[in-house]
Amino acid sequence: MLILQSDIRKWFMKSHDKSNATNQAKPSPAKPDPEKPEARGQESSGRKKTSKYFATDKNKPKDEKEAQAPPAKRKNPKDSEESKKSADNTPIKKSKSGSGRGIPLKSPDLEESDEEDNDKDAVPPLKSGGRGRGGRGASAQSSAGRGRGGGRGGFMNFGERSEPPHKGEKDVPEGAPDCLAGLTFVISGTLDSLEREEAEDLIKRHGGRVTGSVSKKTNYLLCDEDIGGRKSAKAKELGTKFLTEDGLFDMIRASKPAKTPSQEDSKKMVKKVLPSESKSPQKAGAKDAGSQSSGSASTLVKPKAESSLQSSSMWTEKYRPKVPNDIIGNQSLVKQLHDWLAHWNEQFLDSGNKKKGKKQNDTGAKKAVLLSGTPGIGKTTSAKLVSQMLGFQAIEVNASDSRGKADSKIVKGISGSNANSIKELVTNKAMGANMDRAKHSKTVLIMDEVDGMSAGDRGGVADLISSIKISKIPIICICNDRYSQKLKSLVNYCLLLTFRKPTKQQMAKRLVQVAKAEGLQVNEIALEELAERVNGDMRMALNQLHYMSLSMSVINYDDIRQRLLSSSKDEDISPFTAVDKLFGFNASKLKMDERINLSMSDPDLVPLLIQENYINYRPSLASKDDNGLKRMKLIASAAESIADGDIVNVQIRRYRQWQLSQASSLASSIIPASLLHGQREILEQGERNYNRFGGWLGKNSTMGKNLRLLEDLHVHILASRESSSGRGTLRLEYLTHLLKQLTEPLRVLPKDEAVKKVIEFMNTYSISQEDFDTIVELSKFKGHPNPLDGIQPAVKSALTKAYKEESKSRMVRAADLVTLPGPKKAPKKRIAAILEPADEGPEQGGGDALEESEEENSSDTEELEGTPTGEKLQSELESLNSKAMQVQLDLKGTGNSKAKKPAGRGKGASAEKGGQASRGGAKRKR
Amino acid sequence: MLWVDKYRPKTLDHITVHEEIAQNLKKLVTEQDCPHLLFYGPPGSGKKTLIMALLRQMFGVSAEKVKVENRTWKVDAGSRSIDIELTTLSSVNHIELSPGDAGFQDRYIVQEIIKEMAKNRPIDTKGKKGFKVLVLNEVDKLSREAQHSLRRTMEKYSSYCRLILCCNSSSRVTEAIRSRCLNVRINAPSEEQIVRTLEFIGKKEGLQLPSDFAARIAEKSNRNLRRAILSLETCRVQQYPFSSKQTIPPMDWEEYITEIATDIMKEQSPKRLFQVRGKLYELLINCIPPEIILKRLLYELLRKLDAELKLEVCHWAAYYEHRMRLGQKAIFHIEAFVAKFMSIYKGFLIATFG
Repeated sequence: MLILQSDIRKWFMKSHDKSNATNQAKPSPAKPDPEKPEARGQESSGRKKTSKYFATDKNKPKDEKEAQAPPAKRKNPKDSEESKKSADNTPIKKSKSGSGRGIPLKSPDLEESDEEDNDKDAVPPLKSGGRGRGGRGASAQSSAGRGRGGGRGGFMNFGERSEPPHKGEKDVPEGAPDCLAGLTFVISGTLDSLEREEAEDLIKRHGGRVTGSVSKKTNYLLCDEDIGGRKSAKAKELGTKFLTEDGLFDMIRASKPAKTPSQEDSKKMVKKVLPSESKSPQKAGAKDAGSQSSGSASTLVKPKAESSLQSSSMWTEKYRPKVPNDIIGNQSLVKQLHDWLAHWNEQFLDSGNKKKGKKQNDTGAKKAVLLSGTPGIGKTTSAKLVSQMLGFQAIEVNASDSRGKADSKIVKGISGSNANSIKELVTNKAMGANMDRAKHSKTVLIMDEVDGMSAGDRGGVADLISSIKISKIPIICICNDRYSQKLKSLVNYCLLLTFRKPTKQQMAKRLVQVAKAEGLQVNEIALEELAERVNGDMRMALNQLHYMSLSMSVINYDDIRQRLLSSSKDEDISPFTAVDKLFGFNASKLKMDERINLSMSDPDLVPLLIQENYINYRPSLASKDDNGLKRMKLIASAAESIADGDIVNVQIRRYRQWQLSQASSLASSIIPASLLHGQREILEQGERNYNRFGGWLGKNSTMGKNLRLLEDLHVHILASRESSSGRGTLRLEYLTHLLKQLTEPLRVLPKDEAVKKVIEFMNTYSISQEDFDTIVELSKFKGHPNPLDGIQPAVKSALTKAYKEESKSRMVRAADLVTLPGPKKAPKKRIAAILEPADEGPEQGGGDALEESEEENSSDTEELEGTPTGEKLQSELESLNSKAMQVQLDLKGTGNSKAKKPAGRGKGASAEKGGQASRGGAKRKR
Repeated sequence: MLWVDKYRPKTLDHITVHEEIAQNLKKLVTEQDCPHLLFYGPPGSGKKTLIMALLRQMFGVSAEKVKVENRTWKVDAGSRSIDIELTTLSSVNHIELSPGDAGFQDRYIVQEIIKEMAKNRPIDTKGKKGFKVLVLNEVDKLSREAQHSLRRTMEKYSSYCRLILCCNSSSRVTEAIRSRCLNVRINAPSEEQIVRTLEFIGKKEGLQLPSDFAARIAEKSNRNLRRAILSLETCRVQQYPFSSKQTIPPMDWEEYITEIATDIMKEQSPKRLFQVRGKLYELLINCIPPEIILKRLLYELLRKLDAELKLEVCHWAAYYEHRMRLGQKAIFHIEAFVAKFMSIYKGFLIATFG
């Protein structure tokens, strides 16, 4: 299997090389390399899929069909292929006909031979073709790993689509580039041999359009099985034709050899249409589209020459919308902006009295507006256009200007104090429209990239807000991320307009205009693809188009795919996506660099996600794993590798060995993922088949919390001076018993007696109510009965009540958590300690110190106890029947307690006083 | 009050289990200056009791008047300053603390705080006991760096500060520290000793304690005296009068680990591993130290395992335990052990039974 994969990879690389070679060779190859898209299709289809196997009898007819099908398979060594291509690299117009692709580069058959042995199972001997191999590798893996076959069609689970039953077993035909132009397809269910993405790709490549749901415009519903889903029902209702995958192939194939793209072929190609046979409109459409585009192709070639000469400026500037209506998408927002700006003056400048009333009603009420949205969707353009249209003079300030807090000392005009000039601007009455409307044009301030106000722009946002408050001119702020922390305060003062990404259709429409104007020959499908790839960023789309136009005058779907395959990597990738890809079915095809990039996309989160989910994957490596032993072994080594990653991570974090970060990502993400990549399966009933978020973070914080609670309990118990065991011992050995002591009486004894007993016990160990809860909480195990089961609620509430009652007369227990100042004051203390008289023996000394502290305290808090000896205090404490810890001020404290009094007095002192005096304190504390 | 605490011997003279050691210690502190001490031994053997009794011997009752302080220390660590919260238990003459609680910041505790305490206030300059005592618990949990910083402190301030170290395993204490201390090994009490202690308590409490029941408790306690006494009291709460057939309730967490072990033995599959992970998380959340989990799990697994696999499994357990100490996220390592075990055991089962 490994060999096979590596072969595939080799083959991919080869095909990439080839395509590169052709691209460089001539600016306008115009002949789409038939292999590239397939390769990419393979790559891109790296999604989770589960397959279901159909009865294999379906195979046969198809094989026969394929046998008849014309594709001239050539054994073609690479070089001859290349020579062929260069021969094809002739005038552009020729490409249209598709003669170049007359000979499909069906197969670098070289590999076929060395993997023949792998092939046998169920694969018809006839077939070859690059895609067949790539796909088959995968399908062989999956067949081995997968136990549940059977059930036909349908969605088994949400998010789980079955894998094509004959994945990769068929030749994918090559046809004329526009043989499907004008046709709209909807894909439903599982196809016979193509992954859904591949099918989409195939259709798009041939100029067809793929939509998500069936509508009147849909020409064909592509499906191999009638699963009776929503789509097929709708299709039946609308009379849409059903098309099988083979039908599609035939359509495409039919278009290919013909010099003239169409009529006859399209007649032929529709023959496969399943239920309804009315074909004329589609045909006509197809033909029209074909002829039209070829016509336009020829007409557009000439203008290009001239236009490209003159077009020296950037396209993004050149085709920047000139009127608001040109802006793509977000028209309603533009309108809102327009209204806001148009009414600004009336609203804020007319008269102070009216303002109040108007503030209530919506849009105009804010003095500034905040436009937000991803880059390249026309925020700045909208702002400029709207103000221009309304006759405002726009003053733009962006990140390139310093926008710090205006310094009153700097006089206007000093360079760099742009902030001051803004201030000047917004406050200047003269600029205000109401003063001399006639003479001056109105002004609007556009603060671009406000979220970029940082570091250098100290107090920028705050200053902006104050500017907004006093402003005499409208202010338009623009940012990318409206939820940015920095802008939190700003949003309250602004009317928020969030720009959305335009749809790809909208973008494509505009791009077509641009292309036309530039004399660039591009079809709309390709542009839609471009629009999709750039993720709604119009500016980027234009830039890409511009760039491509420099090297070629005819751009087709494949060029765009290829062009953007690399650039798409630059976008942000979420940890989930990264993990999906790493574990994905096609993960073995990822290059090391890509893997590192994926795992480094979030070096903290990705390993956690991997760790959380690695068990869920059914590894492709463990094919033919009947008893699950291989998988278990893989899991064990993955787990070990994850543990390695943890160790490396410690080195990184604790000893700051950041050079190890690659090793860490290798150990914690890449190795486990490469061992276990495959299909995900669920381990728990009802779990969704998506990667879970790493559980470690949550569990760790719960653990931290519980440890803190345990520490509190520990301190309280220590404070009771009955036990001096460590925290670990407390948990491991005491806790079970403590719980018994605390809950058992409540279960068996009568209420009052039980409560009394428990309270007494709690008092002995200074266990507070919270500690009680801690003990219960720490003794809870999932799947075990709750330790509090079987206790009547009445008893519980009685306990709580009794405890509260008691606590009034109890000495301060929480005082044991007196926090004393750290060692900062140490020197003083030490001096104080030395100065202290120490002529008695150690025991005496202890008592003495105690007494000392007593004195301090009592004097602090006009005292009852006077100056008792340690013993006396002790007895008094005993008598109070609360062995609560006796908080003494530390010896250090006593010495220099003058300095420390506040800390000592607040808590410690009141504790010392015991009884009465402390009551207030106790209450306060609880 | 729990019997464990109620019947804890307060002075060296009252100590019953390690009488000889107690007497030696008494001589040591009465006759001459006391060296640094390192007590080590399994849990529940009486280290802490001995230390407390020793302190009392040194300083008299004042050693029992302790107070608890929870203090935040500001420590300068190079470029930044770290806040470390530390609970100390101190009387006028001694301070007790568990530096291991600070996790990987324990180094700062030793370097700054302990040093601070050690060089601070040599009380009683004119008195006969010109030193104070620093009791450090769980020194075996200290990181290597912390232990290295500790040894200088031990020497430098030895004139007026004694350290009493307490730990379970001396092998995790560096050689350097061990050689600076008088090592006192506290053995786990033998079962007879435990039975005797239980009977003593039974007599004091006026209980009818069947001797075979006491023997069973002693056996179950794994020679841990504290546990024996605690479970005796638990049994008392649960059922009295005792019957010799009475079940001795296990510790909640031990019970849970036994369950996990049964799960693992029953089925070795990713699904089961996933469930086991959930249970391990439960244990960790409930503050069971990961080392204990791993050890106990191994113990439970070994009980049910074929002899020929034992060696291998032990090897892996040791391997992963070591790695767990190097690492930080304990669950990863325990899980790795479980996965390893599953793959080994599964392979074994398949090889044996097909």
